[in-house]
Amino acid sequence: MEETNALGSLPQDSKDVSDERDAQKGKYMTFKSGNEHYGLKIQYVNEIIGFQAITAIPETEHYIKGLINLRGKIIPVIDVRLRFGQEPFEYNDRTCIIVISVKSTVVGLIVEKIAEVVEIKEENILPPPSIVRADKVQNKYVYGIGKVGGSVKLLLDPDKLLNDTDMSMVEQANDMGVEE
Amino acid sequence: MAEEFNTEGMLDMYLFENEQLLEQLQETVLEQKDSDCFDEDSINEIFRAMHTIKGSSGIMMFDNITAISHKLEDVFFYLRESHPDNVPHLELVEHVLTVEDFISGEMDKIRNGDSPDGEPAEIIAELNQFLEKIKNGGAKKGKEQAAVAENVHVEPKHFYIAPVASSASRFYKIYITFFPDTEMANVHAYKTVYALKEVAEDLLYSPEDIISDAESAETILKEGFRVLLQSQSSEEELRKLIGVGYDIESVDIYECKADEFLQGFDFGEHELKIDLESSVEDIEAKVNAAIDQSSAEEELKEKPKEKPMAPGDFVIKSKEPGKKKQLAKDKPKAEKASFISVNVSKMDQLMDLIGELVISESVVLQNPDLKVPGLNLTNFNKAAAQMAKISTDLQNVIMSMRMVPLTNIFQKMNRIVFDVSRKLGKDVDFEMVGEHTEVDKNIIEHISDPLMHLVRNAVDHGIETKEERKKSGKSEKAKITLSARTEAGKVWISVSDNGKGLDREKIMAKARKQDLLNDGKPESAYTDREVFQFITLPGFSTNEQVTEYSGRGVGMDVVVQNIQAIGGVLDIESETGAGTTMSLKIPLTLAIIDGIVMETGDSSFVMETGVIKQFFSVKEDMMIHEPNGEEYVMIRGDCYPVIRLGKWYGLDHYCTNIEDGMMLILEVDSRTICLFVDKLIGKQEIVVKPIPSYIKKVKGLSGCTQLGDGSIALILDPSGLIE
Repeated sequence: MEETNALGSLPQDSKDVSDERDAQKGKYMTFKSGNEHYGLKIQYVNEIIGFQAITAIPETEHYIKGLINLRGKIIPVIDVRLRFGQEPFEYNDRTCIIVISVKSTVVGLIVEKIAEVVEIKEENILPPPSIVRADKVQNKYVYGIGKVGGSVKLLLDPDKLLNDTDMSMVEQANDMGVEE
Repeated sequence: MAEEFNTEGMLDMYLFENEQLLEQLQETVLEQKDSDCFDEDSINEIFRAMHTIKGSSGIMMFDNITAISHKLEDVFFYLRESHPDNVPHLELVEHVLTVEDFISGEMDKIRNGDSPDGEPAEIIAELNQFLEKIKNGGAKKGKEQAAVAENVHVEPKHFYIAPVASSASRFYKIYITFFPDTEMANVHAYKTVYALKEVAEDLLYSPEDIISDAESAETILKEGFRVLLQSQSSEEELRKLIGVGYDIESVDIYECKADEFLQGFDFGEHELKIDLESSVEDIEAKVNAAIDQSSAEEELKEKPKEKPMAPGDFVIKSKEPGKKKQLAKDKPKAEKASFISVNVSKMDQLMDLIGELVISESVVLQNPDLKVPGLNLTNFNKAAAQMAKISTDLQNVIMSMRMVPLTNIFQKMNRIVFDVSRKLGKDVDFEMVGEHTEVDKNIIEHISDPLMHLVRNAVDHGIETKEERKKSGKSEKAKITLSARTEAGKVWISVSDNGKGLDREKIMAKARKQDLLNDGKPESAYTDREVFQFITLPGFSTNEQVTEYSGRGVGMDVVVQNIQAIGGVLDIESETGAGTTMSLKIPLTLAIIDGIVMETGDSSFVMETGVIKQFFSVKEDMMIHEPNGEEYVMIRGDCYPVIRLGKWYGLDHYCTNIEDGMMLILEVDSRTICLFVDKLIGKQEIVVKPIPSYIKKVKGLSGCTQLGDGSIALILDPSGLIE
């Protein structure tokens, strides 16, 4: 948290997605999971909510923690750390849920700590270095590495984050139009 | 962007309107398919519908639809204007239906974003041929009509356009108003009667003694002169006979039904007053609303005094009453409401919001803060009760908004019966009962296909051929009844035929062949119901030859599956030689179900109340454990398999001691199983929501819902548990 704050204050209003596209361009919602900082394009983020009771669903992937009631809408939540194959962590009152919407699928992401919204210029985004390719699990979700001042953010591809291995699942579901 | 929206809106409107027109058209046509001809109103209606479709399709530049509707419009224009003789009615019905099919098909293409590329030339050619045919047939007719105009009483002849009474003679009510300054109005009236006598088969007038009683002149001036006439002449001919001259102010002619005619002036008596002080429209309304006179009278009295009529009015008005009459017969006048079409997604949104409201209401009303001892909540409770009432009303209203009558779907079935029976050469009467029964919109979407299949089956397999029917001493005309009713929160839709019934022996033989019979059970021990259920199994068909209508790959098993998918059941009753009745029992709505809330481990579950037969606590000694881990429970001498919900889903912290939990006996698809849960919470009406599609389908779960405290419960699908 300290180091990101030191990098200068940039617009923090993550909820105001109705702003013009231009204002959102190049802005990333960053959060901490494990030891790394991750970034998500702000367009995908609907809102951030505090942790709330989750209803578990049996027989689903371990990282799908269950369903939450978001003002009458029932949405699934996934634990990002478990999704990345990292050790589980204890949820506490600082735990947040980032509600993202990808191709009309709304999903909550449980993350350890929300950092802030930062602007990362196109030229500061590097493709993931090939040497990291050894760690395939990571590489799947990260499409670029953003340099912000002295630190780096792993930029996430939300499509890949949500979907196990293939994209077809979500698209199928969207085609069916059963999503609320 | 804006422009794009505009055309889209237009297209939607175009499709919506035409769909409605076609539906109405089909209804009209099928209603009269069995009579010898269309009545005048239907001809006008079909003409108007085609005219509208032609116009709007022209605007949207769907040329093929324009062309074909134009052609059919031509045909009906000819029918309307020339009243031709000897029109092959069934052929005409088929032509109309073909055109309707064509347009529907093209509209489907448009709806799917394809271009309407169907080729109407063939149908148009057929229509041309048909038009030629009736034109030639009607040539003689022109002369006859001329003869009538010359006031010669011609021999009874059969007009193509006939009254609804379907006999050659028609019944009229004639109202004649004389100018108030007419002298000896009774003599003038008699003159009219004399003229009408030439064409009359039956004539009645009031006041009656117009010749001897001079005072009748006054009555006539005051109340008008009324005539009931039975004649074969058309309205125009009658008008000519009466003629509007220096003495007669206006003549109103209404065609009426035979039974109205027979009521004579008993009925007319009532109208005397209205005649005096109401306008022509009101009189019309009066005639039409004969059934609910009292209510109409109030408003009639308030209407302005009689207006002078322009000559042109006659033509239009004289057509309207007949149409209104029919409507008035079908529906009481009060139902004449205005409608607005609303996007379904908005309705769903409203429904969601109301669901939310109900939940947040219970959050407020059962708030733990209110449980503090010593609070005086009298006023709060009053306000709360009021609020609860309003939100219940709100829920009822939104539910009723989603309800639509089965009329449309029933009409579709009418069409299917018509098509299939004609193709198979069977003579079938189709009767609809309770088509106004309302069900939730989402249910309608699900029952259309199964119902279609059942109806087709009834015509194809249920009804015997004409010869067979004759042999078994039945009337040649078979009957299929489609009926709907609500009972105990469920809708029953039955398809009954009076055909040959199911053949128990044949089904048993087939079942034996397919090895479906239980070894230990003697064949005679199977009840009829059990036997008939065999036909709902996949791959089971006793029909040796595959016909056009049974070889479509949709079997009874698919019907049953579709019905089960919406929580319905299929019930089969049959009596050999007397017919078969297939009844669908389906829930009124999918959106709200009555459920039992229960808890296992840390999770809440809901089970539909209907499938739960019983709850009870089990003692350890009632349990039977198999070495492979399966469990059974012995209840009153019967042994049922047990599913422990916690174990089945691998939940944490669930109750393992059988004596601490609760056993539910479920009856699913005529099988009985026991479900073991930790504890029961209560009974509740729940709003069903789908599980987000991101989560893969979980066996045994059909949806989720919010409980009163805002937490989420999973809805168990009992048929998923028994697989």
